[in-house]
Amino acid sequence: MKTNKLNGKDLINVGVFSAIYAVIVIALAMLGYIPIFMPLLALIGPIFGGIPFMLFLTRVKKFGMILMMSVIMGILMLLTGMGYYSILVGIISGWIAEMVYKSGDYRSTKKAVLTSGVFSLWIWGNFIPLFTNITGYFSTRQDFGQAYIDALTRLMPLWMCPTLLVAAFVGGILGGLLGRAVLKKHFIKAGIA
Amino acid sequence: MRSVLQASAKKRGLVLDPRTKLLLLVTVAVFVLGGAGGEALRWATPCLCAVSLALLITAGKYKTAAVCVAIYVLMDTLQRSFGGRTEGIVNFLLLASAGILTRFLPSIITGAYVVSTTTVSEFSAAMRRMHISERLVIPLSVMFRFFPTIGDEFSHINAAMRMRGVSLGGGNAGKMVEYRLVPLLFCSVKIGEELSAAALTRGLGADVKRTNVCEIGFHAQDVAVLILCIAPYVYLILNAVGVL
Repeated sequence: MKTNKLNGKDLINVGVFSAIYAVIVIALAMLGYIPIFMPLLALIGPIFGGIPFMLFLTRVKKFGMILMMSVIMGILMLLTGMGYYSILVGIISGWIAEMVYKSGDYRSTKKAVLTSGVFSLWIWGNFIPLFTNITGYFSTRQDFGQAYIDALTRLMPLWMCPTLLVAAFVGGILGGLLGRAVLKKHFIKAGIA
Repeated sequence: MRSVLQASAKKRGLVLDPRTKLLLLVTVAVFVLGGAGGEALRWATPCLCAVSLALLITAGKYKTAAVCVAIYVLMDTLQRSFGGRTEGIVNFLLLASAGILTRFLPSIITGAYVVSTTTVSEFSAAMRRMHISERLVIPLSVMFRFFPTIGDEFSHINAAMRMRGVSLGGGNAGKMVEYRLVPLLFCSVKIGEELSAAALTRGLGADVKRTNVCEIGFHAQDVAVLILCIAPYVYLILNAVGVL
């Protein structure tokens, strides 16, 4: 019975947890319309996303599930108009996250926290257009108002690009720790973690 | 069984192939929401919006369509009439919210149409025709089925927590997130387990090719929508190559 191939149950788990994770991230992304929250999203998103993600990791016992969730996030970002960068970033970061969690034998909680950090890097893909082509990004967003554009341009100098990558990683680690605490407090007791 | 199928087909109005709907959704996301092509493709926006809205109306979702149009008109009027006359924070709030709502509405309309008219089996039949791996199809179809469930559960949990005073005004703001997320996760996990049990009994995990009763295929209406969807891409490519 124990094979390395993903079965229907694993795939459904991926779907369920991707849905919860996506709802949390997209709900938080609405904050991005207040310019100051835009860069903070790279930090806040992974922190709250960490709670379902850590619960998801307790279901992951085979190779491919984390990668798939990461790709699905990328597809969703494409559908919600954030561009295709998240898919590219997601494939790489998802694969590394997969490797990290695998090296802990799909059991180690320390590795799980690290996995959460690496996995969260996909969110950085959403910010890439802001650095590679900010005038192009805003040329079709004139209707947001000049005040918004100015505020956001000020908030996004080039050095923010690597900073956001680090922020996403740190957010993921914090989210992992938060998720682990929540797991300990609620889910292990109830027997579903 | 046949009458059931007919009834649902009738209720869904103009029947499009799921693949056409997906292309429409991606096209709207890329060109209207993502703004690809810039000013040169501005003409595509109203066309795509009109098609999506018309499809939503043929599907019988009059209320959704009416609400979307009302919001769009309201926001557009606000933007046009007050955009240049206000200043500072009011202007900022007005323009930002109007800009964002008008930008997202077309995608919301298309998304509402696609989700409300495509059954999960149609979706997976279309995906199989496109030879997309089961490993991606199953999570995606579970996810789309799951979004409404999450919304539903969340509103119940929210109501319960508000009653207990765990809300912004209730004095327990610090617990707000935990007391909502944890129950949500609990019930999602349970629903997920039930879902996998149901899917396993239908042979989802087995190593056989599953059959599907949904008849999907391209018709005249599909061709019309497909041409409209492909046009902006062609324009973009021609523009990039330098023909136009």
